[in-house]
Amino acid sequence: MRTGKNLRVEFTFALALGALVAAPLAAQKAPAVIAIRGAKIHTLAGAPIENGTVLLRGERIAAVGADVEIPVGAQVIDATGLEVYPGLFDSISRLGLTEIGAVSATVDTNELGSYNPQLLAATGVHPASEHIPVARANGITHAVSAPGSGGGGFFGGFSGPVIPGQASLIHLTGWTIEEMLIRPSVGMILNWPSIQTRTFDFSTFEFREKPFTEAKKEYEERVGELEDWLEAAKHYAQAEAKGSKDRFERDLKLEALAKVLRGELPLLVMANSARDIKNAIEFVEKHKLKMILAGGAEAWKVKDLLKQENIPVILRPTQALPGEEDEAYDKPFTNAGELDAAGVKIAFATFDSADSRTLPYEAANAVPYGLPRDEALKGITRYPAEILGVGNQLGTIEAGKVANLIVTDGDPLEITTQVRHLFIKGQPTSTDNRHQQLYEKYRARP
Amino acid sequence: MPDWRVHGLRSLVALVLLVLLGVPAPLLHSAERPNQPPYFAIRGARIVPVSAPVIENGTVVIAHGLIVAVGTDVAIPPEAWVIEGKGLTVYPGLIDALTTLGAPAPPPGPTPASPQQAMQQAARQQISRGPEDRPATTPWENPASQLNTDDKRLDNWRRGGFTSVVTAPDRGIFPGQAALINLAGERPNDWVVKTPVGLRVNFSSPGGFWGFPGSLMGTFAYIKQVYLDTEHYGQAWSLYEAGPRGRERPPYDRALEPLREAKAKGWPVLIPATWAKEIQRALRLGERIGAPTVIYGAHQGYAAAEALAAKKVPVLVSLKWPEKAKDADPEAEEPLREMRFRDRAPSTPAALAKAGVKFAFYSDGLATPKDILKNAKKAIDAGLPAEAALRALTLNAAEIYGVGDRLGSIEPGKIANLTVTDGDLFEEKTKVKMVFIDGRKYEVREPSRPTEPPSVNLTGKWSLTVNTPQGPEERTAHLTMAEDGTLSGTVTGPRSTGTITSGWVSGNKFSFTVYIPMGPRTTEATYTGTVEGNKMSGTVSLEAFISDFTGARPQLEAAAAWLN
Amino acid sequence: MKRILIFVLLILGLAALEAPGARAQGDSVTVIQNATILTVTRGTIENGSILIRNGRIAAVGKNVRVPQGATVIDATGQYVSPGIIDAHSHIAVDGGVNEGSIAVSSMVGIEEVLDPDDINLYRDLAGGVTTANVLHGSANPIGGKNAVIKLRWGKDAKGLLFEGAKPGIKFALGENPKRSNFTPPPGVPRRYPATRMGVMDVIRQAFTEAREYRKQWQQYRERVAAGKKNVLAPRRDLKLDTLVEILEGQRLVHAHCYRADEILQLIRLAEEFGFKITTFQHVLEGYKVAKEIAAHGAGASTFSDWWAYKVEAYDATPYNAALMTQKGVVVSINSDSAEEARHLNQEAAKTMKFGGLSETEALKLVTLNPAIQLQIADRVGSIEVGKDADLVIYDKHPLSVYSVPQMVLIDGLVYFDLKLDILQRAEIEKEKKALQEKEKKKDEKKEEKKEEKKPEEKKPETKPASGAASREEETR
Repeated sequence: MRTGKNLRVEFTFALALGALVAAPLAAQKAPAVIAIRGAKIHTLAGAPIENGTVLLRGERIAAVGADVEIPVGAQVIDATGLEVYPGLFDSISRLGLTEIGAVSATVDTNELGSYNPQLLAATGVHPASEHIPVARANGITHAVSAPGSGGGGFFGGFSGPVIPGQASLIHLTGWTIEEMLIRPSVGMILNWPSIQTRTFDFSTFEFREKPFTEAKKEYEERVGELEDWLEAAKHYAQAEAKGSKDRFERDLKLEALAKVLRGELPLLVMANSARDIKNAIEFVEKHKLKMILAGGAEAWKVKDLLKQENIPVILRPTQALPGEEDEAYDKPFTNAGELDAAGVKIAFATFDSADSRTLPYEAANAVPYGLPRDEALKGITRYPAEILGVGNQLGTIEAGKVANLIVTDGDPLEITTQVRHLFIKGQPTSTDNRHQQLYEKYRARP
Repeated sequence: MPDWRVHGLRSLVALVLLVLLGVPAPLLHSAERPNQPPYFAIRGARIVPVSAPVIENGTVVIAHGLIVAVGTDVAIPPEAWVIEGKGLTVYPGLIDALTTLGAPAPPPGPTPASPQQAMQQAARQQISRGPEDRPATTPWENPASQLNTDDKRLDNWRRGGFTSVVTAPDRGIFPGQAALINLAGERPNDWVVKTPVGLRVNFSSPGGFWGFPGSLMGTFAYIKQVYLDTEHYGQAWSLYEAGPRGRERPPYDRALEPLREAKAKGWPVLIPATWAKEIQRALRLGERIGAPTVIYGAHQGYAAAEALAAKKVPVLVSLKWPEKAKDADPEAEEPLREMRFRDRAPSTPAALAKAGVKFAFYSDGLATPKDILKNAKKAIDAGLPAEAALRALTLNAAEIYGVGDRLGSIEPGKIANLTVTDGDLFEEKTKVKMVFIDGRKYEVREPSRPTEPPSVNLTGKWSLTVNTPQGPEERTAHLTMAEDGTLSGTVTGPRSTGTITSGWVSGNKFSFTVYIPMGPRTTEATYTGTVEGNKMSGTVSLEAFISDFTGARPQLEAAAAWLN
Repeated sequence: MKRILIFVLLILGLAALEAPGARAQGDSVTVIQNATILTVTRGTIENGSILIRNGRIAAVGKNVRVPQGATVIDATGQYVSPGIIDAHSHIAVDGGVNEGSIAVSSMVGIEEVLDPDDINLYRDLAGGVTTANVLHGSANPIGGKNAVIKLRWGKDAKGLLFEGAKPGIKFALGENPKRSNFTPPPGVPRRYPATRMGVMDVIRQAFTEAREYRKQWQQYRERVAAGKKNVLAPRRDLKLDTLVEILEGQRLVHAHCYRADEILQLIRLAEEFGFKITTFQHVLEGYKVAKEIAAHGAGASTFSDWWAYKVEAYDATPYNAALMTQKGVVVSINSDSAEEARHLNQEAAKTMKFGGLSETEALKLVTLNPAIQLQIADRVGSIEVGKDADLVIYDKHPLSVYSVPQMVLIDGLVYFDLKLDILQRAEIEKEKKALQEKEKKKDEKKEEKKEEKKPEEKKPETKPASGAASREEETR
């Protein structure tokens, strides 16, 4: 079990990256004690607790159970008839990186160049983004903010840079990024190059077919380039480890990549087609890298391979159209259930910012198509935490974990359910947001 | 057709270069031929008149360009050049019911200074802001008035047994008029049998997204508007001509003039439609514009035969059957819809025949007449009676274009267009021995080639590098070599795929000629060289340019490994 | 009974794979039994039945007698709702949904380019959609004509049309028609308009022209009626014909819009020219001028919760539908996307969360209200006697995220059946395999031929015959 101290260690780690000047956590409010009482508590670490109590102390969960004693002076929240769940986790989003899609001035998702392993999402996250409270209102308490383009290019490929940078894990509240930050980096994004024969010509608004041979050649060139980068990083890491600092020049890009090679950072490999996934797996095997698959539209086709290689999957939105004309109409809905049944660990994500609030529905829509409801719920709480290496801090309601949780009036996967209370780092956090404010304002228009 | 812009420019550049270098245009093909007598007789041949039962051991007599007698017992004029028909079969001259053969090349525009400028020019040329701009509308174009007799395909088609083709420009929404031409004649005017025989329409949206029309529905609306405008134009001019005094003169519109004539004279409108849904659309459009409709394409006619029969609309069936895309992604899932379409398309003629739809065949860009007959055979294999296939290549085509009274069958009084073979037309080994066009005999000769048998097999996929004046260019050749060394296949360049029209291997030497479509223009490139193992080298000649090329055949294992 | 039905459906369905679609006779009688029926207009009937005769609903209630020979669909534990109506769709269109080259493209129409082969018809059908308003895109202040269709998968283009539905047209305001978010390639000039002023100007110009055009035709007709000879008719203009239909109330206007001010501007302009805006589409700031929309009598068709993809979508809120409803506007939720259309029931449920609409109010947003907006509510939109039997059978309440359409009926015919769909998957695979084999065999045959002719294996001692023959000919 990690403690607050470990968290601070991680901030020091961020300092070492040269990306952030970490502020001490002491800047936070003095720890208070809050008791949520009378609710059904879904810890996701065991059976639900009827009429239980969760005790929050400072940033952490101090206790949870049916017979937790509430200390004197604690702020008591009567949640009788309500339910408590771990806060929802959007495991790949663009939160904080984009505000208005069509206005490039507000979009910080994609840097120029194909290889920017040194970039860190957290350095571009806008804490005052209106998207953050909007997502929060629907129970999302923390999210991975990832650089790179949208949900995955045309026809399953991911367009844009090959390595757009590193993804950061943030709380969805904070005056500054430092208050928001959980981990500056949870993974290196790799947009796996795809063999794309279909291209879109914007001057004529038409699709065109490219000969396969040509597309494959282009693909091989891109993979070759990626190999070159890893090779260079390997030698850089070797120099770093064995050589003297004076005898080689610092290279921030290779330094960042070296962490992937040393296994300190997983690769978040964006790939959708079965072929891309297989190719990516072969590649990471060859280079002995840690891989998390992201996207995975056709992951069902390679579920056994994913299971065998123990590769978890962060699924792209469930509410998608099938990739092929003859594919079963419900394939995007059954994908998650098939993977789960094969023993692949899955998480859900929106890959979006404005739509981050729809996260629970991406999970929910897999339920009637074969995914057990509890697994769906875990796919937006516990599993993403485990997949991203923060399972000891987040994802369940257990003593010692960071107190990110929500109190709802029902099943959080169900659309009509309302979030009544929301806690981030143990603090009651507002669910007020731009949309509600506009609603209130114009409802009052005479 | 976005590709065309690039083609057009390339050919334009080539053309300009040709002019600059002072290269003479190729000579006319039928420049010097001996005189022939006005009388011919083919005696003792198998005669397939199409309009009547087959005559075994019959005679056809030709006089002054016309068929004058057919039968088993007919008098042969003493002046006649008699051809012994034993072992020969005489068919009516074959008609390719829609082509661009002999259609003139587009006029050269100003020379762009840079590729970028070229793109901009192309873009600007195509920006139209509404129907009034008459985008991609050139209904005055008629190949008959400016026949390009240098088009290499004309010779190839004639050698392949075709005596007539319908030809029309194919670029644009109203590309122009269709003319029915014979494939030989003294002067270009002599080639023409009848013109115009129709007005071609396309559903291209030349504006891309940016100019009108930039969508299929825009093109439909445009066509309808043009027909309304034509009607109004006609009224306006009639009224004006009847009493010009005191009346404002209607503006002249060169696009509407031929359309007005078309409407008045009832020229059929040729409307493209491949899928059943497109056939339905075309039928509705045809009704709307109120002109006799002919549908061309019709690969999914098997699913629309009844609708076509009900409307009594004739069909030109494209013999370029849908094929699986070459060099497609082997892992790409192909929709069942398209697989079925590909499987069933050749059954369209049978379905049309059964439903009583009148149809003819056309080549639709097939590279050689051999391919036309081979693909017609596929329709026969899919249930079409052979007689009906023959009719679709002869009399039906003539009737659809309103010349059934002079072409399409072997009957006294009709134009003496005949195709003489050494066997059944649809048998692969059958050779066309001669054709008669307007009563004139044209022998079919195979181009000569070395007699030494091949010592290497060229079959396989070759990667070619051609050292063009602009720098090296990659091409891929798919070659197939027959036992006697005859080569067939395709060559794919950066801009298009060409089909080999003739080729041979002898010893380790080879030569093959590729027909290259370049919009309405066509050209040929001839590759000549030697082979060593999996390497080849030699020269390629295109128009007046000669470049070196090298080629390599990748190891089959490598290719196979990828497919797995 | 259901088993038998499915079996029959299976046989019919598979036999007619090329043209699937309806798998029952049109004049048949069908009864859906033991269902929870969400009528939308007459409350919820527990354990009820629906009698369908000749494609129409003949009876609804707890005590419906099953006529002899009727096909019975047992829906025990299941829910029946009216078919979902998507008031804004772009499916089943060939060759582009935008004639974007010009500012007024009222001469073009979706009906002419409907694509009955579009698989999205089936996918949306499987999501419970039975009717869709297929619209032209939003590239022009005045766009093209729409087509209201029923998702009769398997029918041809004509068979898709919602017969009798009043024709409509697309308008568009704001960033899309003024082209804020994309630029033409080099060499292509920008198109007027580029501001909201210009957008209104284009519409005003167009209708001014249309009025003149109408006047010209009136004058012409009067002259002809007065017996004048040799009068030249005005030029028929398909663009203006459509606009005259709008002026005369013959064509419904569906106006894509975002900002409150542009909504108001269009209302005033329409009022000035004496026509009505039938629906405002997207209308993400509709909640700001709900009063004015209601007063004009326009409907509003919006997204459930999309926002922030462009500036004019930044003041969007998921409370929009509820707030407009509460202020008296007839509101629908639309998809604008083949994907979104698959779960419009879920999108409707969001208005219960955001703004507190009741279940019935929420369900109306994707059934009755779009029907009212498209002026087809006499035919569809609720489960009432006399209406078309366009129905969805869900396993759970359709406003639950866990519900899945089990069967979708249009005109009383089963166009989607989940069980059948699952059975067909194997059939499709089988057929594809067979076709692949067939093609492969053909290729192999070709290969074989080539093999036989390979010179390496069979040394050719013959001289090329054709060469000899050709020489012979030369000496003729």
